[in-house]
Amino acid sequence: MSKQHLQQTLFLPNDERLITMIPVSKMPRKTNLKKRSSLLCSVLNTMESPVKVYIYHVKKSDRGDGHKKKMAWLLRDLRTVDGKSAEKPTAEFDLLFEKVYKWMASSVEDKETFISSLWRLSHRFLIQKPDFINIPERLLEDIKDPHMLREKSQSVDDISIEGEDYQALSAKEESDLELLMSECQVAISNAEVFTEQLSKQLSVLDGANIHSIMGSEDQVLNLMRLLDDGIREAEQIESKLDSYDNILASVKEQMEVMRDKDTLLTVRNQNHQRLLEELENLQKKLDLDLKYMQALMDGDLTTSQGIKECTEAAQALYQCMNADIHPSLCRLGAVEEQQKYFKKLLASFSKRLIHHLNNLFIHHVCAHLYIHKKKFFLIEHCIKKLYTREISDFMESAKQKLVTAKDSKGKLGASTLPRLTGSSTSLTKIEARGRSGSSHSVDSSGLKYGSELDIAMRSVFDQVLEKVLSELERVCIAEQDFCFKFFHLIDKNQPSEENCQKEPGPHGEAASEAESEVWVAKQTYSTADSEYITENLGEGLLQKRAASIYARFNLKTSFVLIREMMAKLFPLLEDELDNFLTHADRQDGMYSMYMLVRMSQHVINNQDMGSYLGKTFGNCLIKVKRNFDKYIETMMQAVKETKVSKKTRCGIISFVHNFEDFTNLAEAIFRGSDRHADLDKAYTKLVGVVFEQVVRVANEHQKTPKEVVLMENFHRLYSTLSHLKNACLENDRKDAKQRYTENLKAYTVNLLGRPLEKLHIFFEGVEARISAGVKPEEVGYQLAFSKQELRKVIKEYPGKEVKKNLEHLNKKVEKQLCEEENLIQVVWHEMQDVFINQYKYYDDLMCRCYPDSNITLDFTIDDVLQYFSDIAQAH
Amino acid sequence: MSKAKAQQPAVIHKVIMVGSGGVGKSALTLQFMYDEFIEDYEPTKADSYRKKVVLDGEEVQIDILDTAGQEDYAAIRDNYFRSGEGFLCVFSIKEQESFQATQDFREQILRVKNDENIPFLLVGNMADLAEQRQVSEDEALKRAQEWKVHYVETSAKTRANVDKVFYDLMREIRSRKMEASRQSNGKQNKNRTSKKIKCVIL
Repeated sequence: MSKQHLQQTLFLPNDERLITMIPVSKMPRKTNLKKRSSLLCSVLNTMESPVKVYIYHVKKSDRGDGHKKKMAWLLRDLRTVDGKSAEKPTAEFDLLFEKVYKWMASSVEDKETFISSLWRLSHRFLIQKPDFINIPERLLEDIKDPHMLREKSQSVDDISIEGEDYQALSAKEESDLELLMSECQVAISNAEVFTEQLSKQLSVLDGANIHSIMGSEDQVLNLMRLLDDGIREAEQIESKLDSYDNILASVKEQMEVMRDKDTLLTVRNQNHQRLLEELENLQKKLDLDLKYMQALMDGDLTTSQGIKECTEAAQALYQCMNADIHPSLCRLGAVEEQQKYFKKLLASFSKRLIHHLNNLFIHHVCAHLYIHKKKFFLIEHCIKKLYTREISDFMESAKQKLVTAKDSKGKLGASTLPRLTGSSTSLTKIEARGRSGSSHSVDSSGLKYGSELDIAMRSVFDQVLEKVLSELERVCIAEQDFCFKFFHLIDKNQPSEENCQKEPGPHGEAASEAESEVWVAKQTYSTADSEYITENLGEGLLQKRAASIYARFNLKTSFVLIREMMAKLFPLLEDELDNFLTHADRQDGMYSMYMLVRMSQHVINNQDMGSYLGKTFGNCLIKVKRNFDKYIETMMQAVKETKVSKKTRCGIISFVHNFEDFTNLAEAIFRGSDRHADLDKAYTKLVGVVFEQVVRVANEHQKTPKEVVLMENFHRLYSTLSHLKNACLENDRKDAKQRYTENLKAYTVNLLGRPLEKLHIFFEGVEARISAGVKPEEVGYQLAFSKQELRKVIKEYPGKEVKKNLEHLNKKVEKQLCEEENLIQVVWHEMQDVFINQYKYYDDLMCRCYPDSNITLDFTIDDVLQYFSDIAQAH
Repeated sequence: MSKAKAQQPAVIHKVIMVGSGGVGKSALTLQFMYDEFIEDYEPTKADSYRKKVVLDGEEVQIDILDTAGQEDYAAIRDNYFRSGEGFLCVFSIKEQESFQATQDFREQILRVKNDENIPFLLVGNMADLAEQRQVSEDEALKRAQEWKVHYVETSAKTRANVDKVFYDLMREIRSRKMEASRQSNGKQNKNRTSKKIKCVIL
């Protein structure tokens, strides 16, 4: 480690100058672990002013060859330098700064050099010098002098420069210089020669220098060339690098594209996977086993095994068809195709099934009917007898009820009807309950109204009739239903039929229940059952029942069968019903109206079924209609044959009353019925006859004037027709009014001849003359109508007489008119009116025919009015 | 067949329609009788109607005498006024004259019946034609108050209040009759004590 090097690397950067350096080691070294070279340097810092002297402890750095300053002290801070011993040469010494640092120099000489250097430096730069102890005197003395000398010689010179010059002469230079000097010993003596020699040498050196410079030109050129080459190479490399760069850039782009593609690929893969899953799922759902298809296409429906297979297949098909598929998937061609295929399968299967069932149905019905003809006849025979007896009983009781309208019917009905049910349909208890309930209601209603009078009787009849009809209807329908079920005429019950085919009679139901493991059969059976029950709930539901049967029952043939069967079961129903109706009709023709309404209602209720009952009722309805017509006919006949008592005043003729009552009753019965048109026809006929007969009676009557009879009766008829407000009778109504007013006028005019009869005749004569062409003024000149005659006539009617006559007339009117129609006031009012008009007319005629004669009637208008008032007051 | 028995209710109330011509007496009557309204006008001379109605739960018969409005001589009416038990005095609210005429009718009725409290209703008809009104309600009410009778406005066309006037009048008639019978009962009792002079007169 040279001093220069140290100076260069460590101190120069800080503008410091190394003065001395000695290798040292720290004294208290107990363990010689590592010999680390460390230096103690005294350094002069020229930058600062005044110049400062540092003592550095420099250590070799841990890595590399560098050194670093470990510790630094100012020389100023140095208190004591301990040389340890002045006599004994030792390498140890102590430096006391803030504390004591013990050092061991590498050699005694180094130590002495260092100490002397410190001595010199402290003498040079410090005012207060450190103590130097235990140091040999010679070191201090020695150095002291030259130092002092130099200090004196150079006096004010810059210490640092002086130090530098000194420093510049390195040992080598010194040696070189010495060598140089020695070479030219002359120099000392002869400066000129020496200078010359030197300059010679210098020029030689210059020349050599230039020479060498020249010589090195090639090398420089070489170097330049090399440099150029190097540059070129570098450029080449650079361009290559650039091209690589380009390539890399494109590669990068491609990499990015590849990355995108990669993500796409993954997504696609996932989608594929999902699609696959979905498709598998779908396929699983829509896949129909080939076995099932086989079963559906041509499974054997005749064996129970085949049915079971078909049922399973149908269920599978059903599941497939109703599989829970996402709606969007349904648009898939394959799915659509599959579904189409399913549908086709379904259609063909159902067609096949229907066909098969139809075949079975027809076959079995025929077979069944054939095979069990005997048994059926047996049953039929029993039931027929039973029904026949019961229906006759029932009808008989109903008839009795009508006759007595009191007692036993209810009881009879109650006892017979449940039996009626019991025989045929013992399996339905509900029905029996319903039955007995209804018959009970007949009973109670019968008792309630039994002893009532006329109108009440009719309503009883109406109720009885309704009961009879609805009971019959219910029994018949129940029986019909039973037949349907029992003989399995309803196609849906086909499967159950298979089993009960060989065991007829009451086992049918049990058998069908045993068969209930067949799914289809059970279901239809239960629905049929429930319907059967609802059917029995009441008449109101019959229509619904009928409709439902009709809807699911297409085979007309079975209806025909049933109808025949029913006809056999109820051979006497129509006759009995007929009997009953005839009987009722005989009781009172009025009943035919009730029957007409009720019957037509029931016919409408039953017509949908085309059943035996419907047919029977239809037949009865025709008869009832005939009865009704007959009734109207009878009534008309009665009107025609009416005889009126000749002794009393006529009043309102009985058939006019009857007609009014009839309209009231008929309206009540027919209200809301669609049979009103029949009634309207009857009305028209009746009214015609009544009008006709009123005229006949009026003409025949002796006691009451014709006009009164007509007036009163037509007034009443008009009122009746007005109440009816029937459009068909509008003309008759107007006619009645017309006839009434006409007769009112006729009556008053006729009557009025009476009070002034002779005057009346006289003036009638006058009027006749005038109308014959005689001038009014000249009438008086004719003998019969002279003034004399007139005076004579007038004299016969003095006021008193007139009043008496009027009073008489008033009484007569009262006598002739009946209280009931209350027309007295009307007539009398008319009478007064006409009388006053007559008076005015006479007066007028007298003025015209006998002017200036001063003849007037014996009474004035005021008198007349007074008479009227008096008459009024007399009441 | 069991009819021919004139099932007439025991009670008959006789109502007379009075009023000038064209006020709607017949229209009211026909509306009440047959629920119909006839637009065409045809003067009535006199007509009689009869109907069975249920008055407060009791079946009664109402006899309506529909009379002529146009007559030259009032005296002609005496006779049927005499027979009436109650009166519907009708005028048209769109005709002042007809309203004035009610005064005369009222006087004549009172004279003929000789009874201040005869069942009587003042009826203003044609209430549906209110825009042509000439007779104010106040006016009519005032007159009704004077006479101590009720005033009702009706419309034969819309059937407004038609039933009401007839039924109200029948109620009045009924209560009058009950009063009378009570009185006559009282009289009979009296007569029984003081010999039957009245019976002789009857």
